[in-house]
Amino acid sequence: MSAISNAQPLLSRVKTRDGRATFSVAAREAFFIAVEALRAHKLRSFLTLLGVVIATTTLIVVMSVINGMNLYIADHIANLGANVFILDRFQWANTSDEEWIKEQRRNKLIRLEDYQFLKDSLQGYKAIGAEGWYGRNSAPPLRYRGHTLYEVVITGETPSMMGIGQQQVGSGRYFTEAEYDHSAMICFIGNDVVNEFFPNSDPLDKVIDIGGQPFRVIGVAQTLGKTLGQSQDSFVQIPLTTFQKLYASRPGIDIDIQANNADQMLELEDETRALMRARHHIPYKESDDFGLNASATIMGLWQQLTGSIFAITIAVVAVFMVVGGIVIMNIMLASVTERTHEIGIRKSLGARRRDILLQFVIESGVMAGAGGLIGILLAVIIAKLVDMVFTASVPVSAILVGLSLSTVVGLFFGIYPATKAARLDPIEALRTEA
Amino acid sequence: MGTQTLTSPVLKGYTPPDGVLIRVEDLWKTYDMGGAIQVNALSGVSFDIHRGEYVAIMGPSGSGKSTLMNLIGCLDTPTRGRYWLNGRLVSELTDDELAYIRNKEIGFVFQTFNLLSRASALHNVELPLIYNGTPAIERMERAQEALRRVDLGDRMGHKPNELSGGQRQRVAVARALVNNPSLLLADEPTGNLDSATGEEIMNLFDRLQAAGNTIVLVTHEHDIAARARRIISVRDGKVARDEQVR
Repeated sequence: MSAISNAQPLLSRVKTRDGRATFSVAAREAFFIAVEALRAHKLRSFLTLLGVVIATTTLIVVMSVINGMNLYIADHIANLGANVFILDRFQWANTSDEEWIKEQRRNKLIRLEDYQFLKDSLQGYKAIGAEGWYGRNSAPPLRYRGHTLYEVVITGETPSMMGIGQQQVGSGRYFTEAEYDHSAMICFIGNDVVNEFFPNSDPLDKVIDIGGQPFRVIGVAQTLGKTLGQSQDSFVQIPLTTFQKLYASRPGIDIDIQANNADQMLELEDETRALMRARHHIPYKESDDFGLNASATIMGLWQQLTGSIFAITIAVVAVFMVVGGIVIMNIMLASVTERTHEIGIRKSLGARRRDILLQFVIESGVMAGAGGLIGILLAVIIAKLVDMVFTASVPVSAILVGLSLSTVVGLFFGIYPATKAARLDPIEALRTEA
Repeated sequence: MGTQTLTSPVLKGYTPPDGVLIRVEDLWKTYDMGGAIQVNALSGVSFDIHRGEYVAIMGPSGSGKSTLMNLIGCLDTPTRGRYWLNGRLVSELTDDELAYIRNKEIGFVFQTFNLLSRASALHNVELPLIYNGTPAIERMERAQEALRRVDLGDRMGHKPNELSGGQRQRVAVARALVNNPSLLLADEPTGNLDSATGEEIMNLFDRLQAAGNTIVLVTHEHDIAARARRIISVRDGKVARDEQVR
């Protein structure tokens, strides 16, 4: 701004020019010079901009993936908990490692007896259900006529679970209370299992082998689709009583409780907490030795996770941007040296320091901005690819942030070379060989 | 003749008489060569140049004529002394103020043309107008007009490397004239041209002078200097001779 500070005495000694008009004309000229310079050195410009391109791409891709997952969670997981909370052995979102270790040590399994107890003692819920889990990595394989299917989630359910989540019966039916009470050897399967075992036939009343035991198929669930790239239709459900009998090593369950409406949620949670604390004989100063998890908890856990991903991304992007900015500064310094003669010509024709300053700062900004644009383009392509296998959605804000951040980096790192250019002595500059 | 004028009393707000375009008074330029060594490129130069004059500044290399030209062209400031241009004391202005004076008052023609090689003839001529904020349409019209005045109306879109030396120098003259400066300052304008083309440029200068332009020509060639009406010879940083020749 030193160039402008001279404007004041100028007013008194020589007639001044209309500063604003000059600025806009000079800025436009600077913009065209910048575009021209970029075009003249395509490869050099691209290499120079690599840092900024990578930084912008990283930023936007990460923002897009997180945004995609956010959208997904808002759509699916959050809905899953419409007035539902889940009693589990652990709190899903832990505030500290210490707490987690403590929970690991002292929290007791939630058992079928707890379910019976809550079902009888709780007042005014809409529905209550329980399920036991066999995760996809440890579950026994399914077999049907020589086909074997691994990594299918096996769960044991109470009949009341149908209706609490999003799950719907596609064909056939769900378990009845009688079948539940008698630990019937029946199953309700997801679409992936149907596609694998019964591509061309009706699965109903067929008998499949689950971990060496025969189960009759009584119903097929409506297709749920994918969550974060994982199919939600790769499951087999059997009555919880059957599950507990066969897999005695997995007595732990979680209990889903659905309130009639959102207002009733807290009330019902408090009631559940009081009942469970009494049942576990917890003194009033001690914290819960079980977890009550609502959709809010899931969202909290999620935000905790994305928060740390985002913090890392910001650090990485910052490093890339600074490196990219320094590379731009370097190339701008070279450009100033290369164009010393041109600067001399412009000065001899009446360009002031600030005109030259503006020219190079704008050139640097335009260059970095172009890098940002390339980065955005690349990010959009990558986001599309990621969306095919996982989930990603480019938010408009990411594009704006990417473009403005890269431009600002260019402007900032252009200041030093531009100042050098602006301070050149016109005679020396003219004398330099073109 | 110039020597009498330098005794003029310097009062606050003093300006030379209206007919005097340039008045330099006891102009010194001293360069520090490191240590205690100082070299006087100019040691007390004084003269007046009136409006409409055609003056050649002559001298061998090292005589100080380039330094003098830089001072007259407002590219540099004197170590000592005063310089009035078009009624304004310009010897004490700052960088940016000098830039303004160069833009408004002076049209340069250089030996090496000093055109922007990547820009068209038209854009080169537009440059001085860009730096005084002339709107785009007016700028283009005036630049086209200036190019027509030097008979380059049909070469406006050409880049310097698509033009002959004489044409390039004419682009430079058009650029020098586009802002209607009060002074046309030419530094060895024919130095890079063959004699026929040089003659063409000198004829152009004659025409411009006849149209009322003030021209200062810096050269070391006698036959080029002879085209002017007055020759100021510089030697060892001083005015050695100052004579009307035509």
